[in-house]
Amino acid sequence: MVLYNAPTNKMLVDEIVDAHVLVIGSGGAGVRAAIEASRYGGVVLVSKTIAGKGGCTTMAEGGFNAVLRDRDSVLVHREDTLKGGAYLNDPALVDALTREAPERMADLVRWGAVFDVTDDRMVAQRPFGGQRFPRTCYAGDRTGHEMIMTLLDRLDATDTHLYQEVSVVDLVKDESGAVAGAVALDRDGSLVLFRADATVLATGGGTQAYDISTNSAAGTGDGFAMAYRAGAELIDMEMVQFHPTGAVYPYDARGRLVTEAVRGEGGILLNARRERFMERYDPERMELSTRDVVARAIATEVLEGRGTNRGGVYLDVTHLPAEQIEARLPVMLEQFLTFGVDIRREPMEVAPTAHHIMGGLRITPECRTTIPGLFACGEVTGGVHGANRLGGNALADTQVFGKRAGEFAGKAPERSGRIDPARVDEVTRMLDAFFEGAISPAEVRKDLKLTMWNQAGIFRNAPDLRTALTHVRRLADRRLCAASTANLLECCTVRNMCTTASLIVRCALLRPENRGAHVRLDAETATTDPARSPFGHTYVSLSREGIERREVPA
Amino acid sequence: MKEITLRVSRYDPAKDAEPRFEAYTARVNEGARVLHALHAVHDEHDPTLAYRYCCGSGQCGSCAVRVDGTPVLACTAEARDGMTVEPLDLPVLKDLTVDMSPVIAKIARICPAPDAGLPAKEEIETIKPLRDCIECLCCVSACPALQVTEFAGPTVLRQEMRLALDPRDSGDRIGDAIEKGLFYCTTCKRCTEVCPKKIDVPGKAIEKLREIANRRGLTLPRHQEVARLVQETGRSVERTQPTFLEQVPEVIEPDGPVRGEVGFFVGCMFNGRVPQTALDAMEVMKRNGIRVIVPHDQVCCGSPLIRTGQTSFLEDLKRKNIEAFARRGIETVMTICAGCGATLKNDYETPFTVKDVTEILTEYGIEPPAKLDVRATYHDPCHLLRGQGISEQPRALLRQAVREFVEMPSQCCGAGGGVRSGVPEEAKALGAKRDEAVKATGADVVVTVCPFCEFHIADCTDVPVKNLTTILLEGYKKKDAERKGSA
Repeated sequence: MVLYNAPTNKMLVDEIVDAHVLVIGSGGAGVRAAIEASRYGGVVLVSKTIAGKGGCTTMAEGGFNAVLRDRDSVLVHREDTLKGGAYLNDPALVDALTREAPERMADLVRWGAVFDVTDDRMVAQRPFGGQRFPRTCYAGDRTGHEMIMTLLDRLDATDTHLYQEVSVVDLVKDESGAVAGAVALDRDGSLVLFRADATVLATGGGTQAYDISTNSAAGTGDGFAMAYRAGAELIDMEMVQFHPTGAVYPYDARGRLVTEAVRGEGGILLNARRERFMERYDPERMELSTRDVVARAIATEVLEGRGTNRGGVYLDVTHLPAEQIEARLPVMLEQFLTFGVDIRREPMEVAPTAHHIMGGLRITPECRTTIPGLFACGEVTGGVHGANRLGGNALADTQVFGKRAGEFAGKAPERSGRIDPARVDEVTRMLDAFFEGAISPAEVRKDLKLTMWNQAGIFRNAPDLRTALTHVRRLADRRLCAASTANLLECCTVRNMCTTASLIVRCALLRPENRGAHVRLDAETATTDPARSPFGHTYVSLSREGIERREVPA
Repeated sequence: MKEITLRVSRYDPAKDAEPRFEAYTARVNEGARVLHALHAVHDEHDPTLAYRYCCGSGQCGSCAVRVDGTPVLACTAEARDGMTVEPLDLPVLKDLTVDMSPVIAKIARICPAPDAGLPAKEEIETIKPLRDCIECLCCVSACPALQVTEFAGPTVLRQEMRLALDPRDSGDRIGDAIEKGLFYCTTCKRCTEVCPKKIDVPGKAIEKLREIANRRGLTLPRHQEVARLVQETGRSVERTQPTFLEQVPEVIEPDGPVRGEVGFFVGCMFNGRVPQTALDAMEVMKRNGIRVIVPHDQVCCGSPLIRTGQTSFLEDLKRKNIEAFARRGIETVMTICAGCGATLKNDYETPFTVKDVTEILTEYGIEPPAKLDVRATYHDPCHLLRGQGISEQPRALLRQAVREFVEMPSQCCGAGGGVRSGVPEEAKALGAKRDEAVKATGADVVVTVCPFCEFHIADCTDVPVKNLTTILLEGYKKKDAERKGSA
């Protein structure tokens, strides 16, 4: 084994783990990838939290889009997804998503998932925004939790080695420049080196970079940042979905997701004057318009002074029968009761919240990234959802591409097992430096989140974005301070958040048009038919950045 | 923003001999949760504070801690000024983080049969209430059985029932459940009380698993004896002395004017084993102007059968009891046994209202008794506190009757759920913990309102244990004696 042994290193690797496939992340995509890869043996799954508790899958409430009925069709699901994505999606990825979602749904049911079913023993489906058929499968409003519990059951039946509360801080490469594993910190701050023939990045999203976010504490963009540092290319990072309905109270829990299922079940949006304002923004689809439209509608109402005192609007289900609310929205009912609001009798107060990053690693349908040895699946990837993700497509994404990533990583050839010592050196030097840092990561995090919310949020313009980029870069250069070895991880996380934020802002500056979730108030042209936009993906990597041009269809 | 103070348990096993509390002042916003107060401590005072959190919205089960002794999710429980935050009652890794993995490893995984199809709607609906678990382990931290036995924990048994209900599962869930301590649960419902999802593990999992076990002939022999006794005699207690029902008429008229009327459901313990307490209760009713109608054709409520899963002839008992009271046009039925009361309220559908004696006495108001010259403490019967939601009324009554009342932390005595008869060593160990708690109060007498608790705690402590109505009666006797003395 060739490993560094430089005498200058204060910190040594405490443990070395070898794997055929290393999966990083324990959300829906990571666990699904590990299950699939385990068919080829030698799988290690590294989770920065207790498995099943960390990712955003477990928090996903609404559902899983899959074509299950004769009256529905994969073609329509595909069209809905492309249209919802403002035709920025990679069509080959959308093909895979829509074609395979039904099979992946069937896997879950076979493995024991407790989805709601109809009287005639079919998986029940409900309508979600931007779709022409009610194709969103659900388990009450705890669909993601149901999936994760099922996936963990299945994972347990494989011989995957699970490392919990071990956090990957950087990818490592072999002498040929291929990704060959990762360096991680365990709970106490000890260093673990994982060596693998193939590495699957399934670290999820990163909207924790925003002040108001639905993401779990783990949604800090680690995967975007690590892959970027390793030289991978990312696309469309400016495409941040602001979910229209996040909670506004209590302040410290702001941004908490209020599921789209509330509107799917018939919830209506009212401003402080009790006007059903969606009539002015999308009279046809109303509350079930796409998320970008609804989020901007709510933000506009609030900005123009028609919001509530707490800066939100009302989301009302009081006209629905109490039994329907209790049966279909139990988590919402319980959460709001905790905060003193009985949604059976009074409206919720909601405002947009940063929810999902549509952009991410550029992948092929086989989930290969732009660097050899590295695969990716789930929210850390880009291209599946284009400029705006449809509700219910993310859970399907985790399963379809989790399975694909696991399969192709499992089939990857054996590598030398050698690691470029310089990369490991770099990581240890960075970690050592945190002990000599000067500023608390908490302070940088707070500053970053506010900067992103205020200058790279729902409505954007070039001057603000440039200010944001300068500030984010300044924050990224601050010397973070670890109070103990256990705090090293926090420093790494904040560093990743800064990187993710800068990727978002850089791409936002690169795209001069309004497209899906990306709104440039200073765009030169008014919003046109996105299908005719001359622009393709934005892209960014260590070596290049830009925006693709494409042939405008006649 | 507002300032709150909190005490947080700090412990690093590598450095500290034992945990210690540190006090902090934290700045949080209105409506802040415990988690936000911990964030404030971490960000502004001590970044080395170890605590887990993830989703921040009560869905992942990472952040459970004990606040003032009670397990809660830090992200949903409101932060209170002056609160004490401790880790769950599990092995501590550091500060507020505990080792959850050994318990999670005990939670069974589904073994789907290869040809398994989708369950039917009704099957899904029965599974769902057991499926909400987020594995936060609040229940495991709070469960009394876990303190003294190898019980795997409420949520572990919950999962066994979830799987037993799923037609896709091919595992032997009853065998597993028994191995994991199915008969250790006292059905005290403390797990449900602390569960963020309010999952009724005793009612929807433990008792149901015991029912399936019963159908397979796996009920504990001691429990089978009780069932045989009920089937043969209508009573779960053997007749060793003249019973309460043999000693009283059908109607017991009050001493003075009639202020009210109740039917009386006596229950097997008060009827057969401690009839004197029931007779004391009748005296208290007489004294307070309440007419008591006692149908002599009432039988066992069925609680010992439900708790142990022996429900084959339960419907027969229910019918007899409902008829006994309904036929006499009784509108309110009073219980003085917490177990019977909880059963009639929760497991029956009655055409009459059921109330505990403490509810009746509180509603009508009692003649103040003379205060007994004792320091008394009160033991909350599980089936009264959690089974019926009654805690204030008995305390208020007791305060009227004794010189001094002292609180004692509430915990199951170990008598319930068939544990006293089926797993006596567990009952004894839990009883011993009650003895410690009683001694810590320095009380002269322990007062309770459940014959099972009374009988069992009396076995486990040398401090006298009495029913609340007995205390009231003693107060009246003292009052009468004082009057006589002064006359």
